[in-house]
Amino acid sequence: MSIKQKGYTHWDGELKTTKYPWTPITKNGIKLAFKKKFFKFTFFLTLIPAIVFLVGIYISERLEDFAFLTSDMEAASFLKINPGYFHSYFTNDFLLFMIVVILVFCGAGLISDDLRYNSLQLYFSRPIKKKDYFLGKASVIGFFLFILTLIPGIIFFLMKLLFSGNLKFAFDYPWLIVSVIGYSFFITGFFAFYTLFISSVNNNRRYVSVLIFGIYLFSDILYGILNGIFKSEYFSLLSIKANIKQVGAAFFGQNLPYGVSWVYSLLVLLILCVLAVFVLNKKIRGVEVAK
Amino acid sequence: MIAEVKNLSYSYGKILALNNVDMELPDGSIGLLGPNGAGKSTLIRILLGFLSPDKGSGQVLGYDIKNQQTEIRKCVGYMPEDDCFIPGMDGVTFTSFLGELSGMPKQEAMKRAHEVLFYVGLEESRYRKVETYSSGMKQRLKLAQAIVHDPKLIFLDEPTSGLDPSGRKEILELIMDISSKKDIHVLISSHILPDIESACSHVMILSEGKMVSQGSISELRQINYSLYEIRTYGDEKEFLKKLEKMGCRVERAEDKIIKIYMPPDKDHLEIFKLAVEENVQIRHFVKSQTSLEDLFAKAVGAE
Repeated sequence: MSIKQKGYTHWDGELKTTKYPWTPITKNGIKLAFKKKFFKFTFFLTLIPAIVFLVGIYISERLEDFAFLTSDMEAASFLKINPGYFHSYFTNDFLLFMIVVILVFCGAGLISDDLRYNSLQLYFSRPIKKKDYFLGKASVIGFFLFILTLIPGIIFFLMKLLFSGNLKFAFDYPWLIVSVIGYSFFITGFFAFYTLFISSVNNNRRYVSVLIFGIYLFSDILYGILNGIFKSEYFSLLSIKANIKQVGAAFFGQNLPYGVSWVYSLLVLLILCVLAVFVLNKKIRGVEVAK
Repeated sequence: MIAEVKNLSYSYGKILALNNVDMELPDGSIGLLGPNGAGKSTLIRILLGFLSPDKGSGQVLGYDIKNQQTEIRKCVGYMPEDDCFIPGMDGVTFTSFLGELSGMPKQEAMKRAHEVLFYVGLEESRYRKVETYSSGMKQRLKLAQAIVHDPKLIFLDEPTSGLDPSGRKEILELIMDISSKKDIHVLISSHILPDIESACSHVMILSEGKMVSQGSISELRQINYSLYEIRTYGDEKEFLKKLEKMGCRVERAEDKIIKIYMPPDKDHLEIFKLAVEENVQIRHFVKSQTSLEDLFAKAVGAE
């Protein structure tokens, strides 16, 4: 007898209450990102800096085998593995640029698609709360950004210990692993808020993609123009990239790249996050309510 | 009783969408009727916990609508009025995903998703991307996601909108089949009266944010008024005027039939007395059953 002939049948299982009801949202977001054209290739490109820096760590421990590479003073200084090396990885322009590209792929449609296709009501008719929805969506971004920040950072640290065959590096820089974790969470958190915020302001994914990319680039171009005219590094506070670099330098105990306190940069990024929370809280509802 | 609300009010800015609504939802299938803008969708959204009422209280399946929204959503299914889906997913993944969000284990959700898609007639299209579905298929998909976790109460908001007659009939048959299970209750919000009439045993009529009538369809038919259909010969103008003065509502129908809606305190013999007075012959007289449309018109019109 077919299902239709049998009529409606009950499900004999039991609904479970989990601590993390947002995990299906994250898994689904990750799956959908990988289904996008060129995403796998782009994501692989994004991993190139991590591979290069990992090779660098290996070479740094086998300098005698790679003497032809290290004869150049600049290359030799690059291969000194210290917090500066980690800082170079985490704040290099290519990585930051590729992170934004990844955000366009995996983050642009996270909320805008739900707004466009009215699917918020489907989520919120389930036993999930607003915070679960945000966590689920933010975790999609977290998944990809941790692969580019936290995981390489930890691997670099462990590989340095492994290749050197002793714990000297860990004793020399005991705080480094905390910096890696702290900075990875910071940058991931910031970009998650940044992306979700922009994704929630419009229901057109393409427009959101342009905004994610445009705001990041335009803020830096604006800094360049204003700095060129007024010769003041305080305009670096207008640039998302500059602020990230400033905070990154502070995390890894390096010289600040711009002549402004990193605290201001941190404040600028935090203000953006607070603004994002405010807007998201207003925009995301089970139903559109125009009061 | 599956749900009740007391003195429920909700406003969108200055517009009062619900005004001191009192209602008790009995078991079974209930129709929520009302013209556009009557407050039907708002009421459902409050029952689901999407909106918090400005005033009043209520409970759904024993859970408070203000404080236990998560518990309510675990036990209910919701089929929204608008087209809604998650792009990039196929039908079965979509349904299973929403089952998982309801708390179903992953494998169980997938198995059940296949079952309900077969049940709603989407077995052939379950691996197609949902954005390629036709309107009728999207309606079925919305129904499938509403029942995937086997809820105790299902809210269906305009379930037949945008469907052709055969699609409408099929969806109504599915709804009737689901509501035939004694432990599943269905609340159908619609302004298509025949749909409610065919699928529901109880009806609630909302108008301008107020509950103007509620009860079983058979009860309402008896309580409100008696409907007589007559055909006359002679000058009927004065006769009809006098009927209206008496408190009857008079309507002309096809084939020279005149419908007379008589208040319950009046006797049908009064029609004959008036006809004698006005020298009008009554050549056809039938006590007719009131349709839901009549009830609706009276309830909405009376208010």
